[in-house]
Amino acid sequence: MKKRKAVRRRLIPSGEATIGPFFPPRYVDAGANDLSQLEDRKADGEVIEIAGTVRQEDGTPLDNLVVEIWQADANGIYRHVADPRHREADTKFFGWGRAATDKEGRYAFRTIRPGAPEGRARHVNVMLMFSGLMRILKTTMFFPGEQANEADPVYRAVPKARRKLLVAREEALGRYRFDLKLRGAHETPFFDD
Amino acid sequence: MAYVIVPRHERTQPLRIVPGYPQTPWRNPKQPLIRRPPTLSELTGPSEVAKRVKLLGGDIAGHGEAQAIGQLMHLKLRVVDEDGTPVGGTVVEIWQANGAGRYIHPNDDEHAPVDRNFYGAARLLTDERGLLELRTVKPGAYPVPTKDGWWRPPHIHFSIFGKVWLSRLVTQMYFPGEPLNGQDRILNAVPDTAARARLVARLVPPTGDPANALVFEHQIVLRGRKATPSQP
Ligand SMILES: [Fe+2]
Repeated sequence: MKKRKAVRRRLIPSGEATIGPFFPPRYVDAGANDLSQLEDRKADGEVIEIAGTVRQEDGTPLDNLVVEIWQADANGIYRHVADPRHREADTKFFGWGRAATDKEGRYAFRTIRPGAPEGRARHVNVMLMFSGLMRILKTTMFFPGEQANEADPVYRAVPKARRKLLVAREEALGRYRFDLKLRGAHETPFFDD
Repeated sequence: MAYVIVPRHERTQPLRIVPGYPQTPWRNPKQPLIRRPPTLSELTGPSEVAKRVKLLGGDIAGHGEAQAIGQLMHLKLRVVDEDGTPVGGTVVEIWQANGAGRYIHPNDDEHAPVDRNFYGAARLLTDERGLLELRTVKPGAYPVPTKDGWWRPPHIHFSIFGKVWLSRLVTQMYFPGEPLNGQDRILNAVPDTAARARLVARLVPPTGDPANALVFEHQIVLRGRKATPSQP
């Protein structure tokens, strides 16, 4: 007799759509771009700044674009049940933040330098939402001078010639610049999962 | 519980460059998007987002004598994952135009009137059944400033976090039977007919609670399903 596999019905994920030009400004809460503390308690680790400019194909800086980040704590642990080490996660570090670009296309986050998670180089996940983006654009920021980058599976998924576009520049001690170009020359590599 | 996220059927998702939507060719990647192996980093994500952002009440149609103008409606929204399991305790950000098609936003300089009794935005948590309820007025249609007379049909915007980074979703909900649905460039950017139909809410018999409100139901499916235990 044939073995019968249990059939699991799978629902199809809803279609994405652009965030449009009218995302309420109040949804970019004051302090949402500061991950270095949680409920007035300072997170463990070294405070860093990540900032940059977001531009479209013709170089125009994009105003009011929403940037979100997600990262591990100073020890490379995610504040999420799927991380086997989550019970040891820093309770003073939330890991998620949101910023919106200004008229010059600039965004900025204050956070802590993430530790390297198991099997990964230290990195920050980035997503972009904007009018004219029918789907969320997702990328990953890596840190300069890290030997572990070359072994990182996400870094290695990117064609060699484009990998350096995912590495932030250290402008001053603890101040990283990560510019994003949505299309055209120096286009940021984006992922499709 | 480990979550699995697999690529979606392309036709169930919108084109990135949309004919007649003039911003899209400037802002969407020219290079092919890159498939990457999922790691813990993408399969974890912010939980308890309400710790970092302020919730806003789900009654945005005004109070007492100060009622918003328009067709009062009640939306029952259900958020589930690909297994159909309710996604409870997740933050849902909602925003929409008022009954005349005007947003509360500095970018909206159309001539449609502002309604001081209309709040325009709600930020809510789903309950353990994945449900949330919104009392609002049906949004009006509004013109997009293109040269060829594109009007957006009535719609409500949602931004939802879900359980992991890759389940984050920004989407829009439409209303059944609207003549503008057939021409809308954003709704019709989704090639698959059934996938478009799933973006349209369902009108259900009014319950009388809240009074005088049409009732709509809508389901949103976030990416992700539980990992199947490996077979022997
Ligand atoms: Fe809209």
